[in-house]
Amino acid sequence: MSETDTPEPMDLLQSLQLERIEENLFRGTTPDSQPGRIFGGQVIAQSLMAAYETVEARICHSLHSYFIRPGDPTIPIVFEVDRSRDGGSFTTRRVIAVQRGKQIFNLAASFKDPEEGFVHQAPMPPGPHWRDLPDEAEMAREFLKTAPDEAKRWFARPRPIEMRSEDARSYYLKGPAEPVAQNWVRCRTPIGDDPRMHQVILAYASDMNLLSTAMRPHGVHWQTPGFQSASLDHAIWFHQPTDFSGWHLFTHDSPSGFDGRGFIRGALYAEDGRLVASVAQEGLIRMRKGADPKA
Amino acid sequence: MDTQTLVETLKLERLEVNLFRGTTPDEERKRQRIFGGQVIAQSLLAAYETVEARACHSMHCYFIRPGDPDIPIIFDVDRSRDGGSFTTRRVIAVQKGQQIFNLAASFQNEEPGYEHQAEMPQAPPWETVEDDMEVRRRHNPSQEELDWIDKERPIEMRTVGERQDTAAPEPREPRQQVWFRARHPIGADPRLHQVVLAYASDMSLLGTSIRPHGVSWQTPGFQTASLDHAMWFHRPTDFNEWHLYVQDSPSASGGRGFNLGHIYRASDGALVASCAQEGLMRMRAPKPA
Repeated sequence: MSETDTPEPMDLLQSLQLERIEENLFRGTTPDSQPGRIFGGQVIAQSLMAAYETVEARICHSLHSYFIRPGDPTIPIVFEVDRSRDGGSFTTRRVIAVQRGKQIFNLAASFKDPEEGFVHQAPMPPGPHWRDLPDEAEMAREFLKTAPDEAKRWFARPRPIEMRSEDARSYYLKGPAEPVAQNWVRCRTPIGDDPRMHQVILAYASDMNLLSTAMRPHGVHWQTPGFQSASLDHAIWFHQPTDFSGWHLFTHDSPSGFDGRGFIRGALYAEDGRLVASVAQEGLIRMRKGADPKA
Repeated sequence: MDTQTLVETLKLERLEVNLFRGTTPDEERKRQRIFGGQVIAQSLLAAYETVEARACHSMHCYFIRPGDPDIPIIFDVDRSRDGGSFTTRRVIAVQKGQQIFNLAASFQNEEPGYEHQAEMPQAPPWETVEDDMEVRRRHNPSQEELDWIDKERPIEMRTVGERQDTAAPEPREPRQQVWFRARHPIGADPRLHQVVLAYASDMSLLGTSIRPHGVSWQTPGFQTASLDHAMWFHRPTDFNEWHLYVQDSPSASGGRGFNLGHIYRASDGALVASCAQEGLMRMRAPKPA
């Protein structure tokens, strides 16, 4: 029913595909390229794809990235891979994403063969189940009646990642709240059988709504006039393989906000309770100089 | 080695504008491979040599190959960006033409703004916790162990809780608390406090993910190594003061353990830094007979 309210999503995985220019050089584009800046999750996902194009068989277990400059969605991005090491157990890669001769992003990642071994994990925390939460389009309907045009445009865009939460979308909040949040997330478009591509899509989704958790104690969100926010870095540890077509609980907490920066930790649990990934991100959260936070 | 000697030996020789050379302290040359914290600290120093005035707020590193303590390390800095608010740097550490380590880091001017932080958890005060080396001294060390215990150390560490018997470890919760600080004065430069804190942050963290599994570095066939290290410097601090390093491991799987650390200042409970590290933790496959 709510499906009719949501634009038909593009095939997310397809939109992230890269063209190989040379052995270690790739080119990607931004789907639905409206002016503005490129969504960070897209560049993370494409850089991981570029790295994977140079790795035989092994699976990514971690990546660390920096957002260096805003990405321009109207022009292609070139991804340059450095084959740092092909070792006995591990493969290490570095990727630099470039536009107009300038680095916009870097990523380092490590890959290995699966192996058996010691296992433990933190239990999935309690919280409302996705089945009991309203569809995002339903939640947005009320909000959009009075929302600024930018928010309306944003909501009208294709949404391959579905998210459900009680109040994790900070712009629904009426005032300051604890810096913790829970989201249920999944990909609505086909990912296929390749476990690597499930990581790529998870990486894309892991940059969504994360930074807003650091804004909660301060009663601001990305639509607050004069407020400026941007992801600065992003790290993911892939603990276990998962099928990202299924629902995952994405828990966030922000242990620190200081000096114009907020720090957030995230954990992604599969519906059966397995901890499949951990995430860490720091983001810029500040009022532009001269902006009145109460305006 | 005292803290000053550590700081002096971490310092680098500038070969070119973006190229530096560092060495391993003499006392550390007997090690099979370079201690990870040393390469982290030297790479951060290399990045700092190319940054004007701004302070590091985060860094992300990978350990790519074991470092050889007997030969110098070359640090190659890439000036990724000098922006209006942020400076970004990448450093590659090289030995014998091969990358042994990489680091990416970001630097920023101080700016006032929103503030929040997690509360420092309950812990017995550092005054009531015995020094790690004194604990070892009470547990019938051999002469070889005694010589090791008696060495001067740049970092003072006091682990909260009962000592783990490394010869016959019992499974425990994947969390621990360690009080630590630089033993001797670092001086007035706040960057060097970050560098020494980064050095010390690679100590003990990986041990957290090992705790539930009844193994230790003494268990025959058990293999462990840091794979990556990330650190966020939330607030400036004086690392000659005591800090509480609170560690937990949310996951182990596939031969890897994942650890998170949070560093609080004892005097006011300020959260000064957070760390994340994944490490290899596995039993070596038995050698074919």
